[in-house]
Amino acid sequence: MNEIGTWFTALVTLAIYSFLYRDNPFYKAAEYLLLGLTIGYSLVVSIKTVLWPGLVLPLASGEAAKIIPLLLGGMMFIRLFPGLKTWSRIPLAVYVGAGAGVSIPAMLKARVLQQIGATTANVTSLSGIIMLIGVITTILYFYFSREHKGILRPAAKIGTYYMMIFFGATFGYTVMSRVTLLIGRVEFLLGDWLRVITP
Amino acid sequence: MNIDRRIIFVIVALAVAIPLVVPLDLPVAVTDETRAVYDRLEMLDSGSVVLVSFDHEASSLPEVRPLAEAIVNHCFMRKARVIGLALFAEGTAVGYDILNDIAAQQGKVYGHDYVYLGYRPQYTAAILGMGESIREVFPTDYDETPWEEIPLLQGVHNYDDIDLVISVADGSLPTYWVEYAQARYGQEVIAVLTAVMVTAYTPYVDAGQISGILGGLKGAAEYEKLIDRPAAGKRGMDAQALTHLAIAVMIVVGNVIAFGARRKKKTAVAGEHAV
Amino acid sequence: MLRKIPIAVCAVCGVFMAAQYFIISGPVSDLYGAVLDWMQIIFVCALLAGILQVVMSQLKNIARPGSGRVYSSIALAGIAVMVVLGFGWGISRGSPFLWMFDQVQAPMQTTVFSLLAFFVASAAYRGFRARHAESVVLVLAALIILLGRVPLGEMISPLVPQTVGWILDVPAMAAKRAILIGIGLGMTATAIKVIAGMERTYLGGR
Repeated sequence: MNEIGTWFTALVTLAIYSFLYRDNPFYKAAEYLLLGLTIGYSLVVSIKTVLWPGLVLPLASGEAAKIIPLLLGGMMFIRLFPGLKTWSRIPLAVYVGAGAGVSIPAMLKARVLQQIGATTANVTSLSGIIMLIGVITTILYFYFSREHKGILRPAAKIGTYYMMIFFGATFGYTVMSRVTLLIGRVEFLLGDWLRVITP
Repeated sequence: MNIDRRIIFVIVALAVAIPLVVPLDLPVAVTDETRAVYDRLEMLDSGSVVLVSFDHEASSLPEVRPLAEAIVNHCFMRKARVIGLALFAEGTAVGYDILNDIAAQQGKVYGHDYVYLGYRPQYTAAILGMGESIREVFPTDYDETPWEEIPLLQGVHNYDDIDLVISVADGSLPTYWVEYAQARYGQEVIAVLTAVMVTAYTPYVDAGQISGILGGLKGAAEYEKLIDRPAAGKRGMDAQALTHLAIAVMIVVGNVIAFGARRKKKTAVAGEHAV
Repeated sequence: MLRKIPIAVCAVCGVFMAAQYFIISGPVSDLYGAVLDWMQIIFVCALLAGILQVVMSQLKNIARPGSGRVYSSIALAGIAVMVVLGFGWGISRGSPFLWMFDQVQAPMQTTVFSLLAFFVASAAYRGFRARHAESVVLVLAALIILLGRVPLGEMISPLVPQTVGWILDVPAMAAKRAILIGIGLGMTATAIKVIAGMERTYLGGR
């Protein structure tokens, strides 16, 4: 069974890589197959591991509190009926409102206050000063409520250089990530499929 | 000089394939970041409870798998009890596989040494919910065994009973662990990441919000060296190095050619003006 | 009236969830836990509704003549296979469902993303030009990371990994930190606008 799986996987892998030569029906077919498998996977996992134990079984055992999420979840399916779409906004409102509410204290603490604290914690060292200048000038670069004139102009320019270093570093790491994915696939083709190397 | 991009594709493919067939065995030096994660896990006592969350998609498997295997291996070597879960649908199957595979290699018993709780969507709600009661979020494990029938889970109520959370991620999930678990409940978090996410999390490490990050195939290779279990991380390093060199050379060559062409154009224009 | 109900619901939920962060009380904690549970169920139902819409659209494609019907049939076959395997034989270790995921779906997904390695190399050769001072800095930083974060860097000189470490820990981190702070403030402002009813894009087209 695994041998069949290996061959099938190798063939669809080559079908996907055929896109590097040019777009073709084999690539498109593989793409649509992947789409279907991914949707099917999400459907099964969501129902079996979330809806069934989290909603259906508790309702079946008489947990009345689960009627509210049943109604809210059910209203999401009303979106499929064009005339009744408006009712599906209620569960959306619960979801978006609750998400917005919990995010306010979390983001203010974790992304703003703690980060500002870390920036100002170590200003006695050279690296700390360079860090502080970088944070301030980069924030000033994104301050578009005033024209970048006078002192704002060179400050924003310095911020640009800091961002170029960040983007360059991120590019380097992005290349690393993508190449690793390719290494994985080539290892499969040469090892598991063609047996040229021992995986 | 406009090279057909398919030639570039062939160069990249060869740069990856050749070192896999003819290994160069390049040495791997351990960075401070990786050592920090290793040292933190070395502090785990026998019986510590570690929550490993598989917060990634299947597409990043070649990067995430070596990292996850190295980290889970180390947890089991420290005799920690591991609770696995997933906050991404695709991470569910991957995490289930990895946990069971490594546990089998190390002779660990399901329900006593490790357990896999499965998937919960809407990660904000799941992370916050576990701060109040993990059982409310996961009333059963992945195989639908009720909470009360799993020995490891008795006495584990919320983050107060979890020594460490390890988020194995290829995206922004560790940010949510920091914002909701660490900031609100004081839960210690380590991030195990794909390389592309490393630069995004260094500020959190510096601020003490994340105890450490382990990133990319290089991170996996370094960690495998530290726990003395060379695997996919070490194997891929030669190919990684050669491909990076090839791309760096292409960038330099491209710039040299472009610079030369610009100079030629400038000289030609200057010559015309002189005439 | 129907338009105002969701805005009011959003405001009530938002204020409650923000306020509960500061309130330690049994009933408030219980309600907070319940709302978190509702969010999960709503999310899954939204996902399932989306999947139903995709299936319906693929069925429409099959009804129309053209090459699209072949590809849509393949997509629907993929969905059917996973659904039958998952509900028929379960999703535990050793099941055909997990076999399909391990042997077919995951490798295919990885392969699609690995295409980016080729395109990133091509883009780097063609587009990565050091024309101005800023782009010189960008290219240099990229080259240092590319060579410094693999064993080659360590072989060139021990200074290379140290330089990489400094770049990541100081200037790159400073820029990322500033972006984080900016995003944090921006998202907080947007969340307040959503709760106050000033931001209504989630309602769809109004």
